[in-house]
Amino acid sequence: MKIIYTALIVLMGTSIIFSQDLHKPPEGMVLVAEGGFIMGSKYGDHDEKPQQIAYTKAFFIDKYEISNTEFAKFDPHFKFPDSKKDNAAIVTWSQADAYAKWAGKRLPTEKEWEKAARGIDGRVFPWGNTYDNTYVVWDQKSTRGTSIAKPASPYGCYDMAGGVWEWTADWYKPYPGNKVPMEQYGEKYKVMRGGSNFNNHSFIRTSQRYYVLPEKISNYPVGFRCVLDIEKKK
Amino acid sequence: MDNKLRPCLLFLCCLFVAIQTRAQKVNKFPSKTDPLHEKVTQFDKLMLGNHWNEGAIMQHVIFPPAGLDRPIVGSQADCLDPTSEMLAAYSHKYALTKDEKDRDIANQIFEAILKLEKVTGVSGLVARSFNQTDEPLWHEEVMWYHEWHQSTSMPGYRWLGDLSADKFTSIFYGVGIFWEICADSQYKEKAAGLLDRFIGRVIDNNFKLSDLDGKMTLWGNFCPDLPHQPLNSLEMLAALKVTHRITGKERFNAAYHMLIDRYQYDDHQINSKILFPKEWRNVGDDYHAARSLYMLMRFEDDPNLLNKYRMNLNRHWYDWKDIEFTWESTIWFVMVYQVLTDEDIMTAEREQAIKNMWGFERRMKEFNIPQKDGSFKKVKSEEERTAAAMIRNYWFGRYYGIIDEKW
Repeated sequence: MKIIYTALIVLMGTSIIFSQDLHKPPEGMVLVAEGGFIMGSKYGDHDEKPQQIAYTKAFFIDKYEISNTEFAKFDPHFKFPDSKKDNAAIVTWSQADAYAKWAGKRLPTEKEWEKAARGIDGRVFPWGNTYDNTYVVWDQKSTRGTSIAKPASPYGCYDMAGGVWEWTADWYKPYPGNKVPMEQYGEKYKVMRGGSNFNNHSFIRTSQRYYVLPEKISNYPVGFRCVLDIEKKK
Repeated sequence: MDNKLRPCLLFLCCLFVAIQTRAQKVNKFPSKTDPLHEKVTQFDKLMLGNHWNEGAIMQHVIFPPAGLDRPIVGSQADCLDPTSEMLAAYSHKYALTKDEKDRDIANQIFEAILKLEKVTGVSGLVARSFNQTDEPLWHEEVMWYHEWHQSTSMPGYRWLGDLSADKFTSIFYGVGIFWEICADSQYKEKAAGLLDRFIGRVIDNNFKLSDLDGKMTLWGNFCPDLPHQPLNSLEMLAALKVTHRITGKERFNAAYHMLIDRYQYDDHQINSKILFPKEWRNVGDDYHAARSLYMLMRFEDDPNLLNKYRMNLNRHWYDWKDIEFTWESTIWFVMVYQVLTDEDIMTAEREQAIKNMWGFERRMKEFNIPQKDGSFKKVKSEEERTAAAMIRNYWFGRYYGIIDEKW
């Protein structure tokens, strides 16, 4: 069934890719093509279900999470140790959102984040389906992009599994067709993705969802990367 | 100094000492030159006196003015570790002394683990820790993930959720030993009931620790359908073996063999210990592996499976044989290895490391305490860490004849 799904999406995706004008991504970003992809899972938490074919427009997304140095250009009061200039910035949702707007960009939706992380074929991790310690940076204390094997997602993004969690633009809500009630659904919590490698391996799966109060991240290391709409680049 | 100022200064000093010691029920510390049994006696009094939270043992206690006059302010995420260590310590102690006072303390600690389940209001869902308080305490905001809940089943209590694989191990290890060598028939039944509900709920959720919200906890993954660490495979097998032994229920034996026959957990667990690259070696993980192997290898009698568990132990021993005794549990690894293999690996250096075991120093520290208006106030207070592992090590060693009572 998964093979049929994938073949169908490849066919649809390919036709869309060929029919569109591919833009050169701005520096530090990659292009995610318009089209469908497998979103969610059949084996994770109930909030990842039902697995579905979701669609996005084409968009650009940052290759890496925003670093401390980058964030400090937006907010000169943002403090960090000298040794962590290139580490992901850990910020609240509104700080991340404000940075994205300042940069002329925005935070990714859940759909966009997941597609950028796993491509169209429903893979478990950005690099494939098997976990490997050498494919992830250990935790938020590690510099971005320093995993031993340095695997990229199908579109060329790094550190979408492990490192820091990443903010999305979306409130924590059930997927269409999900009938399992959760009192946390609604407009109280924002969704963060990608896990931090201090958690178990399953939390860095591309379809894993987790919710957190947008302005009270407690000890969760949450960073972010931005997206840019194709038309905005024009 | 002005003669008029001197009495004032003296008075202030006395007042300061009085305030500092008011909430500290036990203040006597052993000396590092004391014999081992004396150090254990003193640290045991400090733990029971200052860390006793209705039978649960606090891993970290902050004293007034930053703490309260009860030991419930401090990091609490890992409270199940010292709680299970003290449960194991008193179980081993009772097995030696047959003193009903020791058994009574073990019973009270076990009752606290039952309370960790009761406070959640969900059968089989166990909290990391609890506090009797109507209002959130300041450390909830800054010392762990925001996973505190107001109890609906025990009004006036708050509890910390998001149980991990580490605390899962603490539960089957501590309760398992309590059942094995300490509990009377009434408490054996209670212990079996607790593991039946706790491990049964994990099986019902496809080998995941599920939190109050129904999602898998951050570290609660033993699921055959999800990628997980080899250590978690070992912990799950150990938990099922212990629970089958204690409850006699076939479902736990069936689950154990299903994970082995269909999902090869017996092979997966062999690599629990990451040996290379060397900087990835993790003695914290070794602690959970040591507790799991200690339970699993004594309860398993299938020679093929025992071979595989021994392979796991051997990988650990590769590191443990040269380990530095910088942490109270590392010397316990050596004792566990000796008990499980019956090899005489005790050397003069290791004996000395056992004799040198130590608990903690009381330290002054400045805490950033969040205020209701969102600001932070700096407060200096004394704090204590735990000596539970040291006390467990001692009674474990005494029980197995590794430690001489005269040491």
